[in-house]
Amino acid sequence: MKLIKKQIPLAIVFITGVLTLVSYYVPHKMSVNYIETINKWENIVVAFAFLLGLVSLFFSHYNKISRKVDGWGYSIFVFIGFLAMVVPALVSQGKQMTDTGFTALGWSYKFIYTSLSGTMFAVLAFYIVSTAYRSFRIRSLQAFVLFIAAFILILGKVPLGQIIWDWVLGWTGRGVNDVIEWIMQVPAVAGKRGIMIGISIGAIVTSLKIIFGIEKQYMGKD
Amino acid sequence: MLKEQLQKFFKIDRRWIFLLLAVTLFVPIMKPLGLPNKTISPATKRVYENLEKLPAGSFVLFSLDYDPSTRPELHPMATALVRHAFSRNLKVGVVTYIAGSTGLIEELFAKVSREYNKVDGQDYVIFPYQPNILAVLTQMSSDLYGIYSKDRNGTPVRDMPVLKGIKSYKDMSVIVCVTGTAILDYWVAYVGDKYRVPVAGGVTAISQPGYGPYLQTNQLKGLIGGMKGAAEYESLIKQPGKGTSGIDALNLAHLLVLALIFTSNILLILIRYL
Amino acid sequence: MEFFTHSWAMLAGQLAHGWVWFCGLFVVTESWMIAGGWVATGLTIFLFSFLYKDNPFFKVAEHLYLGAGMGWLFQVSVTNVWIPKIWEPVSKGELLVIIPSVLGLSLLTQFVPKISWISRYGFTFMMGYGAGLAIPAGLSTDFISQIGGTIKPFSMLATMSPWAIFNSLVVACGAICVLFYFFFSVEHKGHLKKVSNVGIYFLMIYFGAAFGNTVMARFSLLYGRFDDVYTYSGAKYFYASQIILLGMVVYFLVRWFTGKDKKELDAEETAG
Repeated sequence: MKLIKKQIPLAIVFITGVLTLVSYYVPHKMSVNYIETINKWENIVVAFAFLLGLVSLFFSHYNKISRKVDGWGYSIFVFIGFLAMVVPALVSQGKQMTDTGFTALGWSYKFIYTSLSGTMFAVLAFYIVSTAYRSFRIRSLQAFVLFIAAFILILGKVPLGQIIWDWVLGWTGRGVNDVIEWIMQVPAVAGKRGIMIGISIGAIVTSLKIIFGIEKQYMGKD
Repeated sequence: MLKEQLQKFFKIDRRWIFLLLAVTLFVPIMKPLGLPNKTISPATKRVYENLEKLPAGSFVLFSLDYDPSTRPELHPMATALVRHAFSRNLKVGVVTYIAGSTGLIEELFAKVSREYNKVDGQDYVIFPYQPNILAVLTQMSSDLYGIYSKDRNGTPVRDMPVLKGIKSYKDMSVIVCVTGTAILDYWVAYVGDKYRVPVAGGVTAISQPGYGPYLQTNQLKGLIGGMKGAAEYESLIKQPGKGTSGIDALNLAHLLVLALIFTSNILLILIRYL
Repeated sequence: MEFFTHSWAMLAGQLAHGWVWFCGLFVVTESWMIAGGWVATGLTIFLFSFLYKDNPFFKVAEHLYLGAGMGWLFQVSVTNVWIPKIWEPVSKGELLVIIPSVLGLSLLTQFVPKISWISRYGFTFMMGYGAGLAIPAGLSTDFISQIGGTIKPFSMLATMSPWAIFNSLVVACGAICVLFYFFFSVEHKGHLKKVSNVGIYFLMIYFGAAFGNTVMARFSLLYGRFDDVYTYSGAKYFYASQIILLGMVVYFLVRWFTGKDKKELDAEETAG
């Protein structure tokens, strides 16, 4: 049983990992054939991954409804929202546009999905402002440096800010845009590059650990 | 006494701040200030020049991977890019790896293709959404028809005029990825670097600073960043759109944030030393 | 027998006919577009109403969002992947695609603890491939190219202006200091501490730039929604935005005057 439950899966990860890695460096016909087949297969496997989210979403809200927990009525709207996309898709056979304009599916995308998804993220703008007011503290030199960089970017990215900069600091002969470009091309590159190199080493090590079966948390418990 | 009052002011109900922001952003939408973007960053210009220098008929691949959650920043950018490509009579292919973007792509092409009298299948092709980006990116290096045998409506693509002579990356002139995710990183790492295809990008302002290193090493052939980038590109192609009007509306809100940070820090200093 | 096939064909024909008739109801006309404006601005305002206070309208919209997002993903996956990549090949006799499909479906055994180990076959198949691709790409793009990009300018010193040389030095020193800050697991003391401290300042500039840009990004998204709300406030949409906004205000006022809100607010304030 251990063979089926553990060793074969670990063998799969090792074999696919090594073959894929090797095929990157070896431009042989066999490696091309291998990679072309596995590309198609991987594409199909991942096409099922979202079902994990779907099942757990439906399961938790179905449970809420069947147990009539507090606010179970709202859970019905999860299913209504789902049908609001899937039924029009059936009606329009997956097409969103025709020569004459929107189909039912295009309509639900434009008016339901777009407004819901867009607004969910737009709300964050309000929180970033109240956080800026309540918790942006310039207490140390480090915080001051962070503030200066943020200040220049917030100011310089809009035309009104550029006008104010020219008005106050025009005598320096440097526009705020030059300063932003410098920040983005010099110190920010240094900071990000350090992070990038660090992460890449971490990622390579983790990938090797996965291939050799040292890292297997993703497999869950026995 | 004064100290307590200041403290009270500092701990003001945050909903007043919400209201202040809402007003500062909504009023310029109703009554535009008329202060459009004037400067153009070199990274945006590089994207423009990379498309501009291509001879008519070259094939450009757009990877449009953004959904409605980042639409206000990225849709104007993508629209400007497609307009530019169509105005230069380039052949356009579109791929996507974000399910939510398919609707936006349809909207974009329904509008822009009509502006330039471009025909689906002849001047552009829209491939269907695919779930595994790594698999598709790797596959397109040898034979894109291995994954994309049909367009998003189920029409076979192999004989489409737009794809004549196009089989893999080596037949493409430029790839431009517009995204609010890490998908641009994939294009750079798995395609641009390995197969020597020019890759340029359009990203949200949030991820823009992270691409500095790739721009410096020329792994990325230009980058359009956020609403400002969209406005810049619109002025480069001389077709003002939502990016241009957006940047105008952001003027006051940006100053509001700075004013709030200043106010709260001055208040704190006063509270401490009074 | 013939009678059966005949009646089946009749029934199928009737069903297909009915379906076509049903689909015909969904032609998006001008009034559908106006109704769409009401739906869109309504959902937007419901979600924003949370900023004032949690309320049933927000909850409804929030749950719709969860369902709609999943519904969209589902329909795109079915029409763009499952049908053309699995159903059509299988019905043409290309049975090999069943293997990855079974591997994909195996992921779902996650939900049944007793047989959840089956999902390992799907997961390992994806992880091995991903890891195999990630190693060479990470090595060349984020490691070797970045080190190369840091060093390369120094091979062209003769053609560079003093300012460009200075900038290249800043990038090189900065990146090294940041790496020091991240990597050396030894205790940061003396010179090492100074170096990693300098690294912190470079990180701060990067984070500051990122914060500044985040402000802009968030505002852009809000602008997008406000722009739509403004569009739907026009006479063409029969003032949808104003009427719905007014409705929400009335709702909160009624709650306030009937005292239901006040108690909750007081409770919140004492708790806060």
